[in-house]
Amino acid sequence: MGESAAATAEPDALAVQDLAAGYGGALALRGISLTVRPASITAVLGANGAGKTTLLRAISGVIRPRGGRVLLHGRDMTGRAPEDMARGGVAHVPEGQGVIGELTVEENLRLGALWRRGREARAAALAEAYQRFRVLADRRQQAASTLSGGERQMLVIARALMAQPQVLLLDEPSLGLAPRVVAQVMRLTAELREAGLTVLLVEQNARSALSIADQGVVLNLGQVVATAEAAALATDVQLRQHYLGF
Amino acid sequence: MAELGQLTLGGLSVGMIYAAIALSLVLIWRATRILNYAQGGMAMFTTYLAFEVINHTGSYWAGFAAALLAGLLLGGVIERVVIRPAENKPPLNAIIVTIGLLIFLEGLAGVIYGGQYRSFPAAFSIDGLHIGSAALGISANDVFVAVAVLVAALLLAALFRYTAVGLRLRAAAFSPPVARLLGVRVGRMLTLGWALAGLIGALAGVLVSPSTFLYPNSMDSVFVLGFTAAVIGGLDSPVGAVAGGLILGVALSYVSGYLGSDLVPLFGLAALVVVLMIRPEGLFSATSARQV
Amino acid sequence: MTLLRHLAAAVVLGVVLVLLTIWLDPFRQYQIAEIATYVIAVAGLTALVGLSGQISLGHGAFMAIGAYSAALLLLHLHWPLAAVLVASTVITAASGAVVGVAAARLRGPYLAGATLLLAVALPSLALSDPSLFGGDQGLTVAVSTPAFLGPSFPPTRWQAWLTCGCALITLVLLANLARSRIGRSWRAAGDDEVAAALAGLNVARLRVLAFVVSAACAGLAGVLLAVTTSIVTPGAFTLTLSIALLTGAVLGGLGSLAGAVWGSLVLILVPTYVMDVATSHGLSSSAGSNIPVVAYGVVLVVVMLLFPDGIQGGLVRLYRPLAARVPRPHWRGRARRDTAPPAAPAPQPRASASEHQEEGSI
Repeated sequence: MGESAAATAEPDALAVQDLAAGYGGALALRGISLTVRPASITAVLGANGAGKTTLLRAISGVIRPRGGRVLLHGRDMTGRAPEDMARGGVAHVPEGQGVIGELTVEENLRLGALWRRGREARAAALAEAYQRFRVLADRRQQAASTLSGGERQMLVIARALMAQPQVLLLDEPSLGLAPRVVAQVMRLTAELREAGLTVLLVEQNARSALSIADQGVVLNLGQVVATAEAAALATDVQLRQHYLGF
Repeated sequence: MAELGQLTLGGLSVGMIYAAIALSLVLIWRATRILNYAQGGMAMFTTYLAFEVINHTGSYWAGFAAALLAGLLLGGVIERVVIRPAENKPPLNAIIVTIGLLIFLEGLAGVIYGGQYRSFPAAFSIDGLHIGSAALGISANDVFVAVAVLVAALLLAALFRYTAVGLRLRAAAFSPPVARLLGVRVGRMLTLGWALAGLIGALAGVLVSPSTFLYPNSMDSVFVLGFTAAVIGGLDSPVGAVAGGLILGVALSYVSGYLGSDLVPLFGLAALVVVLMIRPEGLFSATSARQV
Repeated sequence: MTLLRHLAAAVVLGVVLVLLTIWLDPFRQYQIAEIATYVIAVAGLTALVGLSGQISLGHGAFMAIGAYSAALLLLHLHWPLAAVLVASTVITAASGAVVGVAAARLRGPYLAGATLLLAVALPSLALSDPSLFGGDQGLTVAVSTPAFLGPSFPPTRWQAWLTCGCALITLVLLANLARSRIGRSWRAAGDDEVAAALAGLNVARLRVLAFVVSAACAGLAGVLLAVTTSIVTPGAFTLTLSIALLTGAVLGGLGSLAGAVWGSLVLILVPTYVMDVATSHGLSSSAGSNIPVVAYGVVLVVVMLLFPDGIQGGLVRLYRPLAARVPRPHWRGRARRDTAPPAAPAPQPRASASEHQEEGSI
């Protein structure tokens, strides 16, 4: 956890500088800055409407930032279209999961890697997904709409991984899931970090998020109000109660 | 009894034309949630092109191929240039835009070619077929029409079901924002969807023009009936489009045969009104009654 | 207050028009009559589409109903013109109710399709009973200049006065309606049906009422068309007419009564000019007659994509510093948004919500 010395030589996996974005006339993000080290989990926390989802959308290109920069391994990717961000190594699992119910489980998965070249690479990715997520293998020809909440969350994460992304943006994966399933998802996310993935995790459930995160960023009204190592955030009672509700 | 058989076969053949138009409308509706009122006009235009090619080269099949290719291109270009700006505006804008496109195409054809009815060649003989001494009520060309549309529909279905492009097309139609996040270039897929619809429409145009003659408004009634077929089958359902087309074709054939051909337009109108009143989502649509 | 303002404007306009008809030659007087007739129909249509959010591609059919009913009343019952005007308008309004009820559940493309069918099917209805409707040749309408104007009063001027008078009355009534509670309810229901229904509005009844009003306008225009052209034929009420009306409404600015005037001016004055230019350059007349259609198509596409508020919207934008209190024409629908903000407690400010405060358009 404290091996930041080794990471100083390489650029951050993801760096956000002074990002501003909004909808219509209103600004939901007013100058957000944060950095994410490779192979780590950064939890983005805060109350409803703080701008967490907007942050992920501005990074992945769903909405166009009005100011600031987004750097992926040092490369400026600000304002690129979502298709290009996805092909550039950023996988965004949106709020509400984004399962395409009319397609089968297998079709959803294949979709994640369609842009990749090389049939063997794509086939290997699919096989790997089935190995890691047995439940998806069991249901591969079923319509994705028939999956339970937890299975859907697995599906969209597996689908995101099909592209072999460098950075994974996870928006509220615990939403609507039973506590046991939430724990499963968090465990999975931690495993992915061990495998080298960089994760930006937006969560309402701050307790679960901080339990696996390396770093925590707290947003309020579109601005960063605290950035700290996760353990420190978890023990800062005042901060917790003020912004995170526990 | 023989007459019933003849009317049925004849109706199935015509119904395939309606099915083709309905299919192209469904394609576009699923992709962009727009009802393309210009579909008939586009088909008319590509048929005029085929007409030119046939006259210049003397070859029917050259004209046939030219029409299909033109339909593909026209559909793609129209989506990219005219429809794309309207996709994120209020739905009423898109309706008015496609209407405008329709009358633009019809007016342009009128300016270039004038209003006179032109005869368009059929691919095969239009003499009635017989089994022994019994007349079947359809011609070799009618069989060709049915087969051509069937083959096109099956090829399209295979494209969507089994190819990567088809998967992308479906994803782009079902959930554009999610598809984008997965690297699908949704814009290109919409253009492709319109191009494919243009292809099917062009096919319908060359297949039906021998019997309707070719003039600027020749595809109007075919479009209206194709639209009716699409509504009957459910705008969301390609299978419904084909089924709706066949059902409508056969029903109208019976009306024409037993009640007189003058009543066909009125019956078509009545059928549309009835479907819209009773089951607007169509017979084959999987979704529950959405607001029409 | 509003009523007074509208009446005053109408009186001023009326005086101006009277002077124009005295000063201009008979052909121009005829054109004024034509324009006024179209203004009535386009104004009704723009209220339907722009205020209540329902599209109609079939208003030419309503004009036909007005025209044919007037012709029949004059021919067979010999009613005076004033009675015919009222009766035909009422008859067409009733047909509008029928269509409105049938179409009450239809939205968007389905409504467009159904009204399109109406436009296409109705002329063929006229052909179905030649003894009653006169078939292809139609029915002749002979309305003579009223006696009190004197024996040498030019008929074109009288027709111009008649049509302009009707147009002014219609505009005043529509303007008041637009600003009334009904007008606001139309806009509310057109913007967001669910919200309107939750707020207690009877959306279905409002939609039917909008059809009734706009059909009545079209019917009145139909009668006037019959009077000024002296004949009623199926060929005068084709789909092209319905499209032309829609084009006029769109071009002028959907929902704007002033826009109805601009649109009608363009509809009447530009095509004849363009056709003259075309035929003088050697284009055959049959090809030339298609040029207005091409133009309608281009106008519809270009205006909808680039200038959705039409002429009136453009004028308002130009003169906004000068006339800051003139309300903008209301044309807002529900935009399709791929990316709405997350379902946070703070509701997203919708463009249409702020427009609800605005008054109707002039």
